Amino acid sequence: MAFHRITLTVNGEIELVDVPSNMTLLQLLRDKLVLTGTKNGCAAGECGACTVILDGEPVNSCMVLAAECDGAQVITVEGLAHDGTLDPVQETIIEQGGVQCGFCTPGILISARALLDRNVDPSDYEIRDALVGNLCRCTGYLRIIDAVREAASRAS
Amino acid sequence: MPETAGQTFIHTPTPGLPEFDYIKPASLTAASQFLAEHAGEARPFMGGTDVFVRMRDGFWTEKYIVNVKGLDGMNDVTFDPTTGLTIGASVNMNRLIASLEVKEHYPLLAEAAHTVASYQLRTRATLVGNICNASPAGDTIGACMVLDGTLHIHGVDGMRKEPLSTFFVGPGQTVLKPGDIATAITFPIPPAGYAAKYIKLGRNAIGDLAIVGVTALGFPDRGAPSGYRVRLALASVAPIPLVPTQAEAILAEKPITEATINEAAQAAMDASTPIDDVRGSARYRKLMVKNLTRRAVTQVWEQIRE
Amino acid sequence: MVSKEMASVKIPDLIGKSVPRLDARDKVTGAARFADDLQFGPGLLYARIKRSPFPHAIIKSIDISKAQALPGVKAVVTGKDFPGFIGLYLLDRHIFCRDRVRYVGDPVAGVAAVSEEIAEKAVELIQVDYEVLEPVLDPEFGASPDAPLVHPDLSEYEVVPFILPRAGTNISNHFKIRKGDADGVWNSGQCAAVVERKYRVPHVQHVPIEPHVAIAQVNEGGTVTLWGSSQSPFAQRNLIAKTLGISQSDMRVIAPYVGGGFGSKAGVSMEALAVAIAMKTKGRPVKLRLTREEEFYTVFVRQGLVAYFKMGCDENGRLLAMENKFYWDGGAYTEYGVNMTRAAGYSSSGPYEVPHVKTDSYCVYTNHPVSGPMRGFGMPEMHAGLEQCIDDLAEAIGIDPAEFRKINCLKTDSILVTGSKMHATGLPQCVQEVIRAIDWGRKEPPSAPHKRRGKGIALMWKAPAMPPNAGSSAWVELNEDATVTLGVGGQEIGQGTFTAMAQMAAAALGVPYDWVRVAAPVDTQYSPYEWQTVASRLTWSMGNAVVNAARDARRQVIELVAEAWDEDPEDLDIVAGEVISYKSEESISLKDIVVYGLPKPNDSGWMGGPVVGRGTFMPTYVTGLDPETGQGERAVVHYTTGAQAVEVEVDMQTGAVEVLRAVAAFDVGKAINPELVKSQMEGGFVQGLSTALFESLQLKDGVLQNPSFVDYRIATSSDAPADIHAIIVEVPQDDGPWGARGIGEHSMVPTIPAIANAIYDAIGVRPGPPPFTAEKVYLAMLDAAIAE
Repeated sequence: MAFHRITLTVNGEIELVDVPSNMTLLQLLRDKLVLTGTKNGCAAGECGACTVILDGEPVNSCMVLAAECDGAQVITVEGLAHDGTLDPVQETIIEQGGVQCGFCTPGILISARALLDRNVDPSDYEIRDALVGNLCRCTGYLRIIDAVREAASRAS
Repeated sequence: MPETAGQTFIHTPTPGLPEFDYIKPASLTAASQFLAEHAGEARPFMGGTDVFVRMRDGFWTEKYIVNVKGLDGMNDVTFDPTTGLTIGASVNMNRLIASLEVKEHYPLLAEAAHTVASYQLRTRATLVGNICNASPAGDTIGACMVLDGTLHIHGVDGMRKEPLSTFFVGPGQTVLKPGDIATAITFPIPPAGYAAKYIKLGRNAIGDLAIVGVTALGFPDRGAPSGYRVRLALASVAPIPLVPTQAEAILAEKPITEATINEAAQAAMDASTPIDDVRGSARYRKLMVKNLTRRAVTQVWEQIRE
Repeated sequence: MVSKEMASVKIPDLIGKSVPRLDARDKVTGAARFADDLQFGPGLLYARIKRSPFPHAIIKSIDISKAQALPGVKAVVTGKDFPGFIGLYLLDRHIFCRDRVRYVGDPVAGVAAVSEEIAEKAVELIQVDYEVLEPVLDPEFGASPDAPLVHPDLSEYEVVPFILPRAGTNISNHFKIRKGDADGVWNSGQCAAVVERKYRVPHVQHVPIEPHVAIAQVNEGGTVTLWGSSQSPFAQRNLIAKTLGISQSDMRVIAPYVGGGFGSKAGVSMEALAVAIAMKTKGRPVKLRLTREEEFYTVFVRQGLVAYFKMGCDENGRLLAMENKFYWDGGAYTEYGVNMTRAAGYSSSGPYEVPHVKTDSYCVYTNHPVSGPMRGFGMPEMHAGLEQCIDDLAEAIGIDPAEFRKINCLKTDSILVTGSKMHATGLPQCVQEVIRAIDWGRKEPPSAPHKRRGKGIALMWKAPAMPPNAGSSAWVELNEDATVTLGVGGQEIGQGTFTAMAQMAAAALGVPYDWVRVAAPVDTQYSPYEWQTVASRLTWSMGNAVVNAARDARRQVIELVAEAWDEDPEDLDIVAGEVISYKSEESISLKDIVVYGLPKPNDSGWMGGPVVGRGTFMPTYVTGLDPETGQGERAVVHYTTGAQAVEVEVDMQTGAVEVLRAVAAFDVGKAINPELVKSQMEGGFVQGLSTALFESLQLKDGVLQNPSFVDYRIATSSDAPADIHAIIVEVPQDDGPWGARGIGEHSMVPTIPAIANAIYDAIGVRPGPPPFTAEKVYLAMLDAAIAE
């Protein structure tokens, strides 16, 4: 099986890695770059725990080949806070009690950040729609939705 | 390979993707040539959202996975007021949904694409990929059919066009041959005064596969005895995306009333040949074809008669 | 200054305060470590499991030679290597199957290799020759004499005294209630109304978003370390050590954050596989990580249920008698599941006072996936039918269903189904609260002409189901800066227990909340013993241990300072990290005392020293029950009670059900952290909604048809109702910390019947067993000729 030498930027750091053809972006992040904040919940593009921002848009990193990511910009949950200052969605999800077991949380935060990047004032429906691909089994979602709404209102 | 117990299939995908070589050709010609030379052991991919799942499942065991994204203008959405809309094969569904031209002239495409899975999956999923995947449940296929879409195919012999009406052969089966790469889909200018609707019944409120999907597009047409034509396409109720022609004929021929719509809905139901599966029974699906066709046609009719 | 009376009598301010979760920041930044995130270096091996494709078969032979010969394979193990039995209440399971497979997915062999891919290839090379047997696929049939035996050796299995298997049958537990004389009531014709119903509840999965993962390492001396996503590090240590014949002290379990448990990570399921394989890898660690698909059918599932209810009441709507029969689809192994059938038995009246009750609860082996604990431990399944039946009986006697519940629900001192008295309970208040909050009796207009609205109510009760002597322990250690390290063995699985424990420790000790650190991850080598993180028992049981430990530390500090100041300890207190005297009005910071102690006067030496408090708790009062009548002095430690009500809208053209809003009221005794309590009520409601509307493991001839998120749908952000109004009722528990009792599981217990009753209110038809899919509701309406 062929290996590919790729260069990509993850959370602002330039990385040079050799990846086999069948390695997913999720495996690259977790196993090679040890960015374990991104979670593997189904490896089938269904649960959203592995959601990262790839070139400005959220993707299921289990559904992207690492080899495709040559030259890409990736942001993971580890890249949301800057110099110890949390992203507003990180702050509000804590305040609203939208975190329980925390396994879906990284993917939720990425989806929420991506939503607010493209829509500064989302309706409740738009928030729910943006989070449909992020399964959460603990919270019942309402506090997460509250957190995204609150983060949006804080930004405006 | 997937395991079986006697006749019963057991779904046991591998943790990761099987071994393959990732290929990124430099041009369409090179891509078609590679795919043709490795017929049966190479597969093109766009978003990969179905390819990777099927490879984990052990259904697809190709040695080569060929990235055909972004080749020769496949990444563009263009609109021409005289000839219509072109959507490149690499254009992901979120871009399609956000496109102002699509919103203004072909909102049905955006509406249907919006019902596909989740936002993050739609970052990868493409309209052309959804068509080439040829799932009977494909949410956007109906919209592409009623909007009279044409696929542009690059093969070893160069470019050709395939109308959607004859494109689908069976579940997951199309007329595409080894070496063929769908590069774009084009749509003519829609009929004047048209309205359209996609109604999807899934298990969850948003994001599920269609148990039944009904697409309806209606427009005034003096050539039709009723003064209108309504194009219909049904998802998840036949081996291929289904056009209930009898139902369309009823709506073209008889003055459109509640009774006519009911009759057309009944004809759509009669045309459908769904199966029982884990998502729903054939009986329920048929009943829903009737109810949702009635609902979709009624909504379209209320808009176009104004 | 705080008065002495205030400080000693009043509940501390911190108790009942919604402080932020102490694990939240780590969880939002990606810093929180889960088991799969731990790094083991290049020596790590990867395990995969060869599983049975048949629901029931004899293993004739296993050929592992090809797998062993594959380059990169380091070990291949089968059942031959591990003769011991394993199980929590009934030892009916081997780590790997030895002679027989009993469900599709039963582990037959295990492989360790240098990569997951190679391990997977090796698994494919293992050849197993089976002789296929007739499977048992229905619990009612399974309980009959005609059924083939799933465990012919049942009578030889080791079992705890309160579980009663029937030798020569598939019944691994038969729990009976004979309270009063139900037969006599039926024969006497005293009842003004009687209803009889049969209900089915399908198997469902827990679906934690984190799949099971375990990493095991066995060093040369034979000591075992297991890292895993675990609700039960101590139970796993105990059960696996026993099976392997090693000392508990040679088995160490380290359990980082758990990405959702809901019971699936309690007891032992796949962890023993990793340990067994690691015994053959010469010291190299082995990781076994289940795929999502394996997660659906190879770890514990919530068992299916076939339930019969017969209920009768007098003309005033007072319940007179119940006769209930439960056939639990326990699956291939019921080592844990047997106790659910017992719990359902001793709770079989539901939260009602019923003078005459006859119950038979059967745990039945089938060739379905293995039943195990899931949030509610039998109660959601049992209440699903019971609370619909109550509605039907209310209708039969012509009384409003909410009113009927008010009449019959348990009150303080009601006589329970097991013959003892109900402790202080706020259930009547919970009923009142949900009736008020849902505007009971008011019918709102639907949002569209083709829709109809309805409201439904359901009550619940549930006791922690566990051995009578399940214990807890804790320690509290003060650091140089007077911060507090709190050692507990209960696990943070999302419910917020670390936060609640830190609050209780801080309150009992007298320091600010943010001074407390929980010693995590839980590690059986260093953490104090805890039975399991199950049964909604931690706030109460571990909470008591934590309070005891904190009070022990407090006592040590106060005695020291009293000696130094020559004061009466009764006059001293610790407030906000300062030791104060109400008498002399002296004060001293904790940080000036702990660790180094205090100097004696005139440089004559030192007193005190490091402060470590210890605390334990174990209930001592739970008695046995008569095996023939189920009557006894005290069956359980206590019951948490509550009520839910919902408003739904049904689409008459598709059958789709939308839950518009929900209200929930539970008597939690005392909410240590009200927002965390409400979070449990909300999350539990949506999980309950998900099981009501979407979820079932679709088993066909023993084979799961929907082992993925594509076709096992769970509630998404689009399915949660617009509002869940959570109401806290507080009638204190006599032996709970500040009166607290558990809430984690209870919040999903009444949800299926509440939604079912609301659907009935909307359309006048009951759609059959859950999940209430659009299809089921529509076809039921079609049969009733009300569908459009």
